[in-house]
Amino acid sequence: MKNANTIIIGAGRMGGSIARSLNDVANVIVIDKRRDKISKLQDFSGFVEVGDATDLQLLEKNGIKEADCVIAVTDDDNINIFLADVCANIYDVKEIYIKLKDSRKKAIIDKRINCICPFDLSLDFFEKSKEANRV
Amino acid sequence: MKIVIADGFHEADYLIGLFNNRKNDMVVINEDEDICRYLSVNNDLPVVRGRCTRQSDLIEAGAENCDLFVALSEDDYKNYVACRTAKLLIGAKKCIATVINPKNVAIFKQLGIDLVVCSTYLLGQRIHDLTTLENMVNMLSLEDDKIFIAEIRIGADLEVVGKTLAQVNISDLGSVSSITRDGKALIPNGQTMIEEGDKILIVTTEENKKEIIDIFQRKRR
Repeated sequence: MKNANTIIIGAGRMGGSIARSLNDVANVIVIDKRRDKISKLQDFSGFVEVGDATDLQLLEKNGIKEADCVIAVTDDDNINIFLADVCANIYDVKEIYIKLKDSRKKAIIDKRINCICPFDLSLDFFEKSKEANRV
Repeated sequence: MKIVIADGFHEADYLIGLFNNRKNDMVVINEDEDICRYLSVNNDLPVVRGRCTRQSDLIEAGAENCDLFVALSEDDYKNYVACRTAKLLIGAKKCIATVINPKNVAIFKQLGIDLVVCSTYLLGQRIHDLTTLENMVNMLSLEDDKIFIAEIRIGADLEVVGKTLAQVNISDLGSVSSITRDGKALIPNGQTMIEEGDKILIVTTEENKKEIIDIFQRKRR
């Protein structure tokens, strides 16, 4: 049974992929203000909403108050940080993930918020691979 | 006072012009090279090119432990992150964010930004004051709209003309702090009589604002 309510903000490649991977295990809604990105979401049978997620009325209309998990993966770090702070401090969402292109911005992020930093992950992968190849 | 002006163009230029004097230590940081040059030449002060959301750039600009940090970019969320960075990482004492979207005023405040300024929000409030109150009233709000100072001009047809302040009895709602009469200011007491042509200055609160102004604006039957 699907019982976790998950809101994904940003329907780019990352948001779309996460939506597909959670499709069978959670009630997922994807929000993006770009209609073309929403319409390109393939193999996803959850809900979609075209709109600006920085508008709290839109978030409330889409169930932010009952959300168990929010994943903010827009292309704008500043918007992702703002959304994470809104979810943590105004709506008390328990599980929050955000994408950060600039991992240095982690320094201002609340400990409750999980940061996904593609740059750090790539560097980490490179360093581990290099180490493994040396052995 | 150490004041940091982050981003912005004409807004930054205006504020620098106002506060760039011996009393203040101005730090100006801007992401746009052309704007940096313009602000620097126009105001005869160094402007650092850098990103105001980046701790290292702010430190390099000399913004650490500033008394006031003002974020003026056209991107509300950049201003939000810049203010959070200034507050949490470089020890800014007070932060001001400007926003384009009026809805962000309340949200940013709730998230800990000391002061959020939006021209459309202010315009809306002004229009609201003008349309809900008689245009004989001038209003000034303080302390995030908790305290109001209202200036009321007393016309001949008002009920309060010829009464003393004690008779008007507004003590639960606010206080009359001064009366301007024939170009002279006087500090009133309970026995001071209200006359036609007086300009009365009232200090009141958000809750009592409407009631107290109604009392002074009531027309004689």
